[in-house]
Amino acid sequence: MKNSNLLKKEVGNEIKSAKDLRELDQIFNKYLGKKGEITLILKGLKDTPKEERAKVGKEANLFKNFIEKEIKGKKENIRFAGAVAEDAGWIDITIPGRKPFIGHLHPLTQTKRKFEEIFQSMGFSVIEGPEIENEFYNFEALNIPVHHPARSTFCLSLCRTFYLKGGNLLRSHTSPVQIRYMEKHHPPLRIIVPGRIFRNEATDAKHEFNFYHIEGLMVDKSVSIANFKAILQEFLNKFFQKTIKMRLRPTYFPFTEPSFEVDIECVICGGKGCSTCLGSGWIEMMGAGMVHPNVFKNVGLNPKDWQGFAFGMGMDRFAMMKYKINDIRFFYAGDLRFLRQF
Amino acid sequence: MVFSYNWLQSFFKKKLPKPEKLAEILTMASFEVSKVEKRGNDFLLDIDVLPNRAPDCFSHFGIARECAALLNYKIQTPSAKLKEDKNKRARDLIKIEVKDKVACLRYSARVISEVKVGSSPKWLKERLEICGLQSINNIVDFANYTMLETGQPLHAFDAEKIAGGKITVRFARKGEKISALDGKKYELDNNILLIADRKEPLAIAGIKGGKKAEIDKNTKIIVLESANFNPIVISKSSKKLNLRTDASLRFEHGIDPNLTESAINRVASLIAEIAKGKVAKGLIDFYPKKVLPQKIKLDLKYVDSLIGAKISEKEIKNILERLGFKNKKIKTQLIEVTVPTLRLDVSLPEDLIEEIARIHGYKNVVLISPIATLIPPVKNLEIFWEDMTKNILKDMGFSEVYNYSFISKKENDIFNFKNLIELENPLSSDYQYLRPSLIPNLLKNVSKNQKIVGEIKIFELGKIFRKAGEKRMLTVLMNGDRFFEAKGTIDLLFNKLGIAKVWYDEFEATPEESKTSLWVQKRCAEIKVNQEELGFLGEISPKILEKFKIVGKVVSFDLDFEKLSRLSSEEHEFRPISSYPAAIQDIAVLVPGDVLVDEILNKIQIAGGKLVRDVDLFDIYEGEELPEGKKNLAFHIIYQAEDRTLSSDEINKIHKKIISSLEENPEWQVRK
Repeated sequence: MKNSNLLKKEVGNEIKSAKDLRELDQIFNKYLGKKGEITLILKGLKDTPKEERAKVGKEANLFKNFIEKEIKGKKENIRFAGAVAEDAGWIDITIPGRKPFIGHLHPLTQTKRKFEEIFQSMGFSVIEGPEIENEFYNFEALNIPVHHPARSTFCLSLCRTFYLKGGNLLRSHTSPVQIRYMEKHHPPLRIIVPGRIFRNEATDAKHEFNFYHIEGLMVDKSVSIANFKAILQEFLNKFFQKTIKMRLRPTYFPFTEPSFEVDIECVICGGKGCSTCLGSGWIEMMGAGMVHPNVFKNVGLNPKDWQGFAFGMGMDRFAMMKYKINDIRFFYAGDLRFLRQF
Repeated sequence: MVFSYNWLQSFFKKKLPKPEKLAEILTMASFEVSKVEKRGNDFLLDIDVLPNRAPDCFSHFGIARECAALLNYKIQTPSAKLKEDKNKRARDLIKIEVKDKVACLRYSARVISEVKVGSSPKWLKERLEICGLQSINNIVDFANYTMLETGQPLHAFDAEKIAGGKITVRFARKGEKISALDGKKYELDNNILLIADRKEPLAIAGIKGGKKAEIDKNTKIIVLESANFNPIVISKSSKKLNLRTDASLRFEHGIDPNLTESAINRVASLIAEIAKGKVAKGLIDFYPKKVLPQKIKLDLKYVDSLIGAKISEKEIKNILERLGFKNKKIKTQLIEVTVPTLRLDVSLPEDLIEEIARIHGYKNVVLISPIATLIPPVKNLEIFWEDMTKNILKDMGFSEVYNYSFISKKENDIFNFKNLIELENPLSSDYQYLRPSLIPNLLKNVSKNQKIVGEIKIFELGKIFRKAGEKRMLTVLMNGDRFFEAKGTIDLLFNKLGIAKVWYDEFEATPEESKTSLWVQKRCAEIKVNQEELGFLGEISPKILEKFKIVGKVVSFDLDFEKLSRLSSEEHEFRPISSYPAAIQDIAVLVPGDVLVDEILNKIQIAGGKLVRDVDLFDIYEGEELPEGKKNLAFHIIYQAEDRTLSSDEINKIHKKIISSLEENPEWQVRK
């Protein structure tokens, strides 16, 4: 047997200079084929004197491993070189990519999901209710006097209601679902109610006659204004993905006492004042308050036992803020140039 | 409502904060101030007084009281010192009779003689003007001024024009008329409350005065009226006559009946002083049921619990006193609060807590995370399936639209829907009915988009309405000749929703139905699962498309989403992948044109049995080379066993069985 190092070098060179896979096969056969040099040595081991057998065997095996490794490496080189050769030519990587055609979810669907995700993470269940309602659920049970002739001054735009022939009405807020839910479920409870609502108002960039509300209700033994502030702050921060400044102002709703309006610092201008916030730096985002004792009574709960907060906000408004949409009517116009942006 | 800053300042010795600052303080603790505007050397504040606070705050003195409480200032009550003329008694000069004490809760009157009617001093004109009122003469102006100051509407009559020297408060008789101070004539009915003399109406109670007893430059003796009318009566009359005034606005919201006296004394003192009149002795006062202050027991622990902050007893008492609520301690943590009769909005402990919270300041309430039982939210399955469905359709290239819940009368005439719900007060005839189907508005979307976007694939998931009730529907629409793409969409959707065994049933409309049918005859199908109908698939009738000015075809499917979500299932069973090879054999069948693909598939499946893993239709051909009325259908049949490699003998045997089964029908011919 030749000096093994010398042999390694020689075989190594042979492999390196091989031009194609066929030549590589020949080299393989020469050494490791059925009658290859190394194969023969390994086969002949049994005739080798005992004292040399271990040494020769070890060397032959090392050599075998060496050849196999070199050939494998060279094979990959050849294949890779071949591939380059076949596809020769460059690509203009600035040519626009071909996009697969996919559809789009409405921005309000995406906003609704965001609301649901955030509130569910805080233990609120998502509940829905009918869009056709009656006066009891839409007004009376919520402590809004129905038969009072001056009611419109006390229930504000809520009373711009669409009535249906036959006496029912289209809900003007999602609050009826509070009543429906509390009639059937005993506190403690935490729910949000997203849904479509209707108001008999002329449309403009800020008003639609059907739009979306999301209602929230939490009732337990000692739910407080401080709790409301904490839950709401958490929601706002998560929704806008930054710390949002908010403030509560007193207001009047028949179904909550105390009642407040919630303003947030304008997310468009950061509170400096712009056209969205009409220069005030604040935007009115929702109405809220502590559930009025009469509302508890109306669903058969003892107001002495329970405290809760409720809030209601326009989903469209949040979507407009989030996506910087300046006209609410885009949502219901079915214009694909708008919808395909989401 | 607009207020004068200088007027507000006049109630205080101490300087008020600057207008902008005052506006901010009011906004955060009382009412939103929507505008601050400089007017000469004064400022106008536009304050959105909350409707429940109208009784005590539709007045400068009311807002000043609010400022006093917020700023902890001492307020000065306007003077109402009267020097009465001892020689004349008011009740000798005029008689008052109130016929309905539910409609008129109080009627106070005074008589002033020897007045000199003339123009008002400049300061008075300016204050009225900033509040949007025109100056008329000193008497009328003082009545209006006092209303703006106190919130109590007042009226002055020329006593010598009152027939019979008697004022009666009564409901109008049908057909009675009045010429009002605005120059208009109003026809009255028996729901309208009047102030009348022996002969005829002098004023519409609480709303507008009449010409008859108008103050003019010759007026010498006046009767001042300061009354309290039932808000419901005034509101009804005002609506009926379509007449809203500063007085009616205040009465509609309710006013404290105790206010009439101080207000009439105030206006009398002003007139006596400036119009040099002599106030006759005595107040004529009809007040059968005096309103007394209410008392509320307030548990201080409840105050802390509802607000979620520790507010000291001292602070609570201080806030209440600043607002004019007297209170006394009953026992530990319990006080009794006396509510001023002005505060018609306060009747419950919660009302008092709101007062405490807003004056304490909502910004001072520190955020506290609620402590609540850890109950995981309940999964809403309807929303879950809705989300899932929307995602699947989106992935298949459909865009979601939201349309109005209404359709027009014109649209309904096109479709001739039955059992519609009509609106009593639609916004316009474009939105006269609740939508009984999502299709009309989706067609409008196609019509609108077709010029801009070539391929339209849209869907909506929303409520539809019929007399039977509301229901959630899923409707998908695409333009073009794509019936089978729509059908494939349904198959894939159902598959992803875990609903097996969807099939399509032929649908024959009755001749009557077909006239107005939405769908093209014989190019539509009922979508069924087991025996239950879930919806409809088909091409929309060209007659309808024409009405919407849509070019080309539109394919749609319409699914009852309530049923769909009930059938949906998250369970999905894995079918083992056979490790044995599959063999594919093709077969082509020449059949009469009206044979359904399903019929052939069924034959193949039945004859082939378990070893036929799948059958794929890959070609349908109808052409000149074929005999008249025939079509050629070509299928791939995939043979595979789960436990062994099928031998070619085995496969041939089954294949032959399939062929002979297909050829049992003499009209069917398998082309080998």
